[in-house]
Amino acid sequence: MYLPSGVYHETYRADNAWWQTTFVRAKMALLVVLLLVGVPLAGNYPLSIANVIGYTILSALGVQLLIGYCGMITLGHAAFIAVGAYVTAIGMLRYGLPYSVSMVLGAILAGLWSVLFGLPSAKVKGFYLIMTTMAAQFVTVDFIITQYVSRVGGRGHYFSLPPGTITIGPWVIDTELKVYYLMICLVTLCTVGMANLLRTRVGRAWIAIRDNDIAAEMMGVNVVRYKLLAFFVAGVLGGIAGAFWISSLYVVSAEHFQFSWSIWIVGVILIGGVGSLHGVIFGSVFVTVLLEALKFAVIPLSDAFPALSTGFLYIKEGVFGLAIVLFLLYEPHGLAYRWQQFKNYFNLWPFAY
Amino acid sequence: MRRAAERFVPPIEITKELSLPKFLLQTARKYGNRKVAMREKEFGIWRPITWQEYLERVKALALGFVSLGLGRGDKVALIGQNRPEGLWAEMATLCVGGVAVWLYQDSLIDEVQYIVDHSDVKFLIGEGQEEVDKGLAIKDRCPKLERIIWDDPRGLRGYDDPILISLEEVAKLGQELGKREPKLFEELVEKGQGDDVCLLFYTSGTTARPKGALLTHYNMLKMGQNMMKVDPCGEEDDFVSFLPFAWIGELMMSISCGLQAGFTINFPESPETIQQNIREIAPQVLFSPPRIYEQMVRTVQVRYLDASRVKRRIYEWAMRIGERIADLKLAKKPISWWLKALGSLADLAVHKKLRDHLGLVRVRRAYTGGAALGPDHLRFFHAIGVNLKQIYGQTEIAGISVLHRDGDVKFDTVGTPLPETEVRIAPDGEILSRSPCVFRGYYKMAEETANTLKDGWLHSGDIGFLDSDGHLVVFDRRKDVMTLADGSRFSPQYLETRLKFSPHLKDVWVIGDLRPFVTAVVCIDAGVTGRWAEERHIPYTTYAELSQKAEVRSLVAEVVRHVNRSMPALARILRFVNLHKEFDADDEELTRTRKLRRTFLEERYHEIVEALFSGATEVHFDTTVTYEDGRVAHSKTDLLVMDVPGETG
Repeated sequence: MYLPSGVYHETYRADNAWWQTTFVRAKMALLVVLLLVGVPLAGNYPLSIANVIGYTILSALGVQLLIGYCGMITLGHAAFIAVGAYVTAIGMLRYGLPYSVSMVLGAILAGLWSVLFGLPSAKVKGFYLIMTTMAAQFVTVDFIITQYVSRVGGRGHYFSLPPGTITIGPWVIDTELKVYYLMICLVTLCTVGMANLLRTRVGRAWIAIRDNDIAAEMMGVNVVRYKLLAFFVAGVLGGIAGAFWISSLYVVSAEHFQFSWSIWIVGVILIGGVGSLHGVIFGSVFVTVLLEALKFAVIPLSDAFPALSTGFLYIKEGVFGLAIVLFLLYEPHGLAYRWQQFKNYFNLWPFAY
Repeated sequence: MRRAAERFVPPIEITKELSLPKFLLQTARKYGNRKVAMREKEFGIWRPITWQEYLERVKALALGFVSLGLGRGDKVALIGQNRPEGLWAEMATLCVGGVAVWLYQDSLIDEVQYIVDHSDVKFLIGEGQEEVDKGLAIKDRCPKLERIIWDDPRGLRGYDDPILISLEEVAKLGQELGKREPKLFEELVEKGQGDDVCLLFYTSGTTARPKGALLTHYNMLKMGQNMMKVDPCGEEDDFVSFLPFAWIGELMMSISCGLQAGFTINFPESPETIQQNIREIAPQVLFSPPRIYEQMVRTVQVRYLDASRVKRRIYEWAMRIGERIADLKLAKKPISWWLKALGSLADLAVHKKLRDHLGLVRVRRAYTGGAALGPDHLRFFHAIGVNLKQIYGQTEIAGISVLHRDGDVKFDTVGTPLPETEVRIAPDGEILSRSPCVFRGYYKMAEETANTLKDGWLHSGDIGFLDSDGHLVVFDRRKDVMTLADGSRFSPQYLETRLKFSPHLKDVWVIGDLRPFVTAVVCIDAGVTGRWAEERHIPYTTYAELSQKAEVRSLVAEVVRHVNRSMPALARILRFVNLHKEFDADDEELTRTRKLRRTFLEERYHEIVEALFSGATEVHFDTTVTYEDGRVAHSKTDLLVMDVPGETG
């Protein structure tokens, strides 16, 4: 890590502090002001985009943990998001639990559900593990949720969430702005939690497994246990994402948690940078904003080419695919690496190294 | 430039009763556990040691030495890297009333033996296995040596010689003695007087056997005080101790200034990390011989060469502005407002960053001394906003006698005398000085003492003069000054330092005394020139081969030609040869402080010298190389003599 001249520490606590210089502290203070005051002033439309970004971050954090820090590729993460969303909804609607309690329940159940599908990771690696995670997607969403869970309480509007349903104590979350603040809280909590977790023994064990599982085992890391722990934490993060997302939905439905979303969030970390928390955030912001920009590009053309608006979904996916291909070709380390390079440019100025 | 608040330290009267240990006691009582006396980087962090802890460590060791039988006036030799333990052991020796003798860590066994034997050392304190090995190898030839004390246990498991004892055990012995006689330590310290000898410095003589200079507590304390009268250090300052304690400058800062100002001494993690550790600490005061600054400039120049074109242009522009401002400032001429504005811009764009890279962000004053630093180097540092000043002095005057004042720096002088210090020039041009810091004499060398010390005037052996502003200009060592073909005198050192501004040249030896013209022997810098060759796809395997490559020789020729342009016609270098190896102190070509030993070089390389002046184009050279463990190897080389293009011989 780069530090300017004149920064030194007498204790390990200070040596490990997140923000060590005034410059970084000022930068972070600016970010907080921007997020808490700046974005809310921008109006409802930017807020709604911000909320989508937040949801993408929460969704992708678990994927980043599994792929970027533990080396296990997952293509079924939407399943655990769905478990979080459904358990939270059922907890509130059927058992009358408060939102926050349901959220915790949803997160834990999603974590356990994730461990269940993580069990094969004890035996299989690589392509075979991808298959089992895809199984999680299809078994959970397309089979269990679509066939059984969504029919709980009879056909119809059981999973509808009219405005005012979601409250934390006296705080009714019924506007875009309130959802935004909820999002900021959750994203901060999850990101800080993850960042710190990665610096502990657990995080180092995960990274050791990612780099070389046999070497990790030789060094005394219980590979199976840590892999399952990774699945659990990833599931919990997915559950939180799902529980958050229902706050901006009117109705919970299996359509929100399709296989395409699982793929999407993997794409997000590829673009952002595998193995980096910055990457999760950069990737989420980049992809979401790119697609919104695309919408603006398409609208003026839709009069001349009506096919553009009717087929927008396909254009969107096409552009997303193209973005991933271009990133893999020209920026294989993702945006996080570019950011690092950008900072290095100034840190090393006027030299090259 | 960021300037830390300079807290004024009230002047303390240095009486003849005051000694360094008494001062330590006072300072430790003043700060107790509230202030950090020293830090050592270990396992990634700077572990602090407060003044109270410092005193306790010293006390334990001092009493330990007493129980091992150290008495007043006994000598203790110390050898090792800069670590807190070394300083504690030294202080402990002084507390008992002993005399500390520091040795260079890379000294060969013969050198260690000579000093240990000549100075009647009773205890030898070595850092680790390497030093213990040296001690064990010489113990039979040094009958006065009673104990070898070690600190770092690595590799010492099988060592069971009864002469060995660990520093830890010594401290334990001391603590036991302290419990039995709680007043003993204070009594021992009380006995010390200012006129007692505290340090014995073996000067790395460029000609003869090393001579041991005796310095007293009073010398050392006065030295620190007089220096800080000119440039006060604050108690909040940080100082990095990374040069050998066997060099007077380092001890003067660590012991004398350190105790009086109460600043924190920082010890680097290892010799390899010094540059990085300096950058972390960003000291307010830096005191080094020129090679450290030469290395800094070389680092910058090499990185500059590897930067992209745009960055290079910006760097060049900023350096031009910086140098223009520095030149005006030093000439005490007014600087126009727009140049000032450009200067701030250049500072923001480049200089600030350069200071950050070099760890000089907080430096209020940087000093260079011990040898000559080229004017180009000095200009470089002033251009990037570092207040680099020359000092001049000798071990025999406890460090320094002449110093640049802030705002009165000249590139070709070393400044004006310190308070209480008189400097005059003898009729034959020799620099003489007199001050309370002048040493007692050389240990067991009455004749040399009489030659150096006459009526209290220290004869330096350097030739120089005082300029119209009262600044001292040091020409060169008297025996080094060369007489050119027309009878005029010229300093080879000046040519050498100018040439060394090129990052490709590590060492230069200029020859021209009583010769028809001037020639040079050049040692290229292996790292920089090697990289230069790699970039140009010039294949080479060894240093010797690289040095003889046609491209490398013409590169050096270009450097020489560039410097020649600013020299008087007769002082221009007409021929040179690239040496097949770097000069090394282990081969006795340099002193331990990296000064050239010219007479030795002339003897050793007489074939090369002959070829340089005979007009031969090639010289066949047979040489011996001494390795650090004392082994000797032979090598045969053919060296090519180059004529500098554009100069006629």
